[in-house]
Amino acid sequence: MDKRDPFRHNVLTSGHRACSGCGEAMAARMVTDLIGPDAIYVNATGCLQVFTTHNEQSAWQAPWIHSVFANAAAVASGIEAALRARGKDTPVVVQAGDGGTFDIGLQCLSGMIERGHDVLFVCYDNEAYMNTGVQRSSSTPHAVRTTTSPSGRLSQGKHHLKKDVISIIAAHHPPYAATATVAYFPDLKAKVEKAMSMKGPRFLQVLSPCPLGWEHDSALSVTVSRLAVETGLFPLLELEHGELTGVMRLAVQKPVEDYLRLQGRFKHLFGTKEGAVELRHLQALADARIRRYGLLEAETEWDTERSSQVSRHGRGGYVIAQRGMGRELDNEL
Amino acid sequence: MKKLLEGSQAVAEAVRLCRPQVVAAYPITPQTHIIERLAQHVADGELEAEFINAESEFGAASLVLGAVVGGTRAFTATASQGLLLMTEVLYNIAGMRLPVVMVCANRAIGAPINIFSDHQDSMALRDAGWIQLYVESNQEAVDSVIQAYRIAEACELPVMLCMDGFFLTHTFEPVELPTQTAVDEYLPAFHFDRTLDPGQPMTLGGGSEPDNYQEFRMAQHDAMENAVTVVEAFDTSFGEQFGRVYNGLVQAYRLEGAQTVLLGLGSLMGAVRDVVDKLRDQGQLVGALRLRCFRPFPAQTLVQQLGVTQRIIVLEKAFSAGAGGIVATELRAALQQAGMTTAVESVIGGLGGRDLTPEVIEAIFHGAQLDDNGASCRFVPHEYNPVE
Amino acid sequence: MSSKLAVAPGSSKAYQTGDWRTQQPFYRDKWPPCSQVCPASEDIQGWLALASDRQWEAAWRKLSERNPFPATMGRICYHPCESACNRKHLDSAVNIHAMERYLGDLAIAQGWQHKGLKKISQSQRIAVVGAGPAGLTCAFQLARNGYPVTIFDAQAEPGGTLYNGIPDYRLPKSVLASEIDAILALGIELHLNTPVGMKISTGDLGDEFDAIFLAIGTQQPRRYQGSDISNHSVMGGIDFLHRLNRGEQIMLPKQVAVVGGGNTAIDVARCARRMGAEVSVVCAQDPHGSHHHKQGTEMPASLQEVVEAETEGVIFLYRTGVRRLVRSGEHLSGVEVARVDQVHDRHGDFNPLLFEGTEQFVPAGLVIFAIGQEVDWSGLESLEEATQADGVWIGGDAAGKPKMAAAAVDSGFQAAMSILAVLKGESPVTDAHKKAQITFKQMQLHYYPKQTRHEGEACEQRLDGFDEIVKGLADSDAEHEAGRCLSCGVCFECDNCWHFCPDAAVIKKTGSYEIDYDYCKGCGICAQECPCGHIDMEAVTE
Repeated sequence: MDKRDPFRHNVLTSGHRACSGCGEAMAARMVTDLIGPDAIYVNATGCLQVFTTHNEQSAWQAPWIHSVFANAAAVASGIEAALRARGKDTPVVVQAGDGGTFDIGLQCLSGMIERGHDVLFVCYDNEAYMNTGVQRSSSTPHAVRTTTSPSGRLSQGKHHLKKDVISIIAAHHPPYAATATVAYFPDLKAKVEKAMSMKGPRFLQVLSPCPLGWEHDSALSVTVSRLAVETGLFPLLELEHGELTGVMRLAVQKPVEDYLRLQGRFKHLFGTKEGAVELRHLQALADARIRRYGLLEAETEWDTERSSQVSRHGRGGYVIAQRGMGRELDNEL
Repeated sequence: MKKLLEGSQAVAEAVRLCRPQVVAAYPITPQTHIIERLAQHVADGELEAEFINAESEFGAASLVLGAVVGGTRAFTATASQGLLLMTEVLYNIAGMRLPVVMVCANRAIGAPINIFSDHQDSMALRDAGWIQLYVESNQEAVDSVIQAYRIAEACELPVMLCMDGFFLTHTFEPVELPTQTAVDEYLPAFHFDRTLDPGQPMTLGGGSEPDNYQEFRMAQHDAMENAVTVVEAFDTSFGEQFGRVYNGLVQAYRLEGAQTVLLGLGSLMGAVRDVVDKLRDQGQLVGALRLRCFRPFPAQTLVQQLGVTQRIIVLEKAFSAGAGGIVATELRAALQQAGMTTAVESVIGGLGGRDLTPEVIEAIFHGAQLDDNGASCRFVPHEYNPVE
Repeated sequence: MSSKLAVAPGSSKAYQTGDWRTQQPFYRDKWPPCSQVCPASEDIQGWLALASDRQWEAAWRKLSERNPFPATMGRICYHPCESACNRKHLDSAVNIHAMERYLGDLAIAQGWQHKGLKKISQSQRIAVVGAGPAGLTCAFQLARNGYPVTIFDAQAEPGGTLYNGIPDYRLPKSVLASEIDAILALGIELHLNTPVGMKISTGDLGDEFDAIFLAIGTQQPRRYQGSDISNHSVMGGIDFLHRLNRGEQIMLPKQVAVVGGGNTAIDVARCARRMGAEVSVVCAQDPHGSHHHKQGTEMPASLQEVVEAETEGVIFLYRTGVRRLVRSGEHLSGVEVARVDQVHDRHGDFNPLLFEGTEQFVPAGLVIFAIGQEVDWSGLESLEEATQADGVWIGGDAAGKPKMAAAAVDSGFQAAMSILAVLKGESPVTDAHKKAQITFKQMQLHYYPKQTRHEGEACEQRLDGFDEIVKGLADSDAEHEAGRCLSCGVCFECDNCWHFCPDAAVIKKTGSYEIDYDYCKGCGICAQECPCGHIDMEAVTE
């Protein structure tokens, strides 16, 4: 095991081939260390799978399997069934991108939830098929330019809206479904821990910026993810059994332009009449989401300001103990 | 003691005796009775397993893949469209060298959609890296399911057990079911080295590059070729324990001095043997050979068995459009490689569930009044289709 | 089975992605703006961090390393640190002033003693002339380093201007005395009532001691041209304050005019108010304001003092200078003043010119002139031009333009370090403030929770007597106020860099972080998201 760091295991360790500043690598590193190495991870095809298991090397320090693009939820369900039959309670976790969740993976995911498998499904949503070269997915937001939804003389980028997958998941009434993102780590942590404390099918959609595909500076991945939330474009929600049980309130609503200007994938909207219409549309979409989920009025202490705050002498909070493995703790304090 | 059992029921009993802990399937005619029976077993506590109703065959194959790497014996069954739908996963299972056993209730492939039996489905998967065994009877289906688990787990290769849809699945035959004790003796408890376990973390299904991919395939090919021996050996030991053998790879019938041999797969061979008897009674030197193990292709055994004859007719319920018979082509290649010049005729019939009656088979032996479709293969003509 | 079907966990570590980067992060402590502008160069962030962890004694010791007068400074310093504090861009500056006072008062209450770095054991001896903040601080630093020091002071009480020039309501005598006692307790000899040049000659000083530090302050008031200094209607500002601080009873007429624009003038005015007089301040310079600040005509007194004085009812006349004193028989009836044209002349000297026809009469029975001070070299003429080569150091107000008390403290520190270097025969260590500065633009202020600034309780009644106007911070507030420090440029272990690194290339140790340069791809996220600007990104050079 990786003994460099006494405060976490690095279930996803160094040496992987993610692009510099990759939001998905960041999210997966966070999530898997919050869950710990005592779990079985099933990965769909995509960036995460490719950049972590290249050239007969693996950045995973926990049991991990990749099958095909669309079936991670089904493979995980099979593993979970086998564990149950063997009387074992090792957690099973799926990791998939938006392709393996919203589109090609939706069938297996739906089956997994409908049948009530005890699996946590984590979608790292970078809003396009990034691994194959930034082609649009149903998760790609409105007016984004991708290689298969380019802007051009007759087009302002993707015509259709971002698929509301959390509502699709919610319609299955799973015990828990939530959205999160990397900028709000304590929030992500709370959600992962909550999900891990429950049984049955659980779902997390983690917005994961992609410097390459979203065309922003590699240093801005966290900043961009924060703005996605602060503008209302990506609401942070919790749903239990299909009912909305919590939202992160926006302490201040930021205009969508603050978010869009940082990313080249929206660049074509600035400076043209047609583009301006789409900018207004995007603002209207943000406003609509805010209205729909009550992101400004929600009576909760859980808001974008509080959730973003740091404190002195942070103590991490990742899983570091090994359960019943008969091995030394990696904690070298 | 023999019981009169529908083929599907018999297979379900055999599966139950093998103690899979996960059964996952999606219904498709003509496999449905198999999985329904298993569901009932589970519901009645006769089979201690998780029965998972998959959302599609693609899901079903994935579920059993997961179950095996999760550390249990698993089972699924499908046919036709379902088999094709799970193709990606079947290659994946084989490439990862997982011991999965699946029954394919052979059925024609659409378009045009057709629910009746032929071998196009499993033949379409012949390159996937699965061992394929074709059974002739319900008894053989039962026995071969049990053998299949042993073969799969010993070789770390998946096994597809092919049984004709309707002809076997929905037909009642007397079947001897082994006892649980006997099966437990023959088939050891499930063990798989690469079970996913936090105590022994490993990465499965990682990426491969030009400089290491071929070696995976070579290892697979080696394992498949070695499986010829394993298939034979486990059939032999099965015979020793249970008293029934199928000669492992091929079953010859009255090949002594035969000048013409008809080679085929599956349940049609019963009718073929009747025709051989009739023609032998008339003084014709004919024989039959049933190919049980199609993958790995037992070239050596086939060459050895067929070496003495002058004319081989391969009667197939599948073909490769634009190329001709599949088994015929592979047989020709095997014979040529052995330096033999025996003529091989490729006949395609029985597609889409069309009956191959003794009359038709006899006509095939005679080689008369058949359409000439050029050199690649001949199709059994329509006039011979028995219409009531 | 082929081992390649299963790949070993963590085997990716064989591939060192550090090769990819074109820029790389460095953890580098910065010198926050508060410390940058502090005349005493205190490590303010350092002692606030300790205070926020409730390590009060450690915080006091850290503070005292540069400034042994926290209780004093926490009352009289004009806290430029707070004006520079980056936190003002978030909500309001940290109350560094009150925190300093809190620690100083706590030390006094708890009786904490300074610990020397070494016991006094050196044979070389140093003489300090003047027991003001510069002299005492110099002695403190030398004694800490194990050198015996003797201080000579002409006055009956130590403290210099701190004692003589600052009224009780700003600095209670007991507080000052406690801090001076704590300094002296290191083993410093103090000879009061001993003016050097008179009671002891400079020659003797040179013989007996290996180094001399002159910190005699500016005891000589500038005199108003055209006044009779013996007249009881006219007084010097410093003289007034000295007499008051020594406990003398001074009778004031109903109206007093104070001439001057510096802190001394304000001190005088506010004292006079407490003694019941109506006070007007005649100031040749302009009031505070950015325009006047840019032109350089702003009055030198601190804005806070002016505001306090105005609250207390002092009247201010700006851009106004004295033309003549108006007598009525033996007494002063008032001062004739006029508008000032320019404050400084061609040479830059303070030399106001008055506009004819703008005269105004300010009634007053006493006019106090607080128009500046100069060094009084009487008895020490031989040392006026002396240098370090002669073994003589000059510091504090005596060394240049009078500045804040904290500057005097720093002057004493610098002199001590220089003396140490010379006595040890080493080259002097220049102050290692090579750390870079840090502005709020290099920080991510949104990461810090907003918190109201804590203040000491203000007393309603001001003019009843000479009690302190503002109390110190409540105990429960001190920890929180210290916690408001943003720790500009200095890591406080928020874990952001560690959480956000996508490559697990930030390693967390107990109390610090480390970059694993074998894997760091140089994305820059750690530097971007560091709340306090601790991380620098630099281009990779071959």
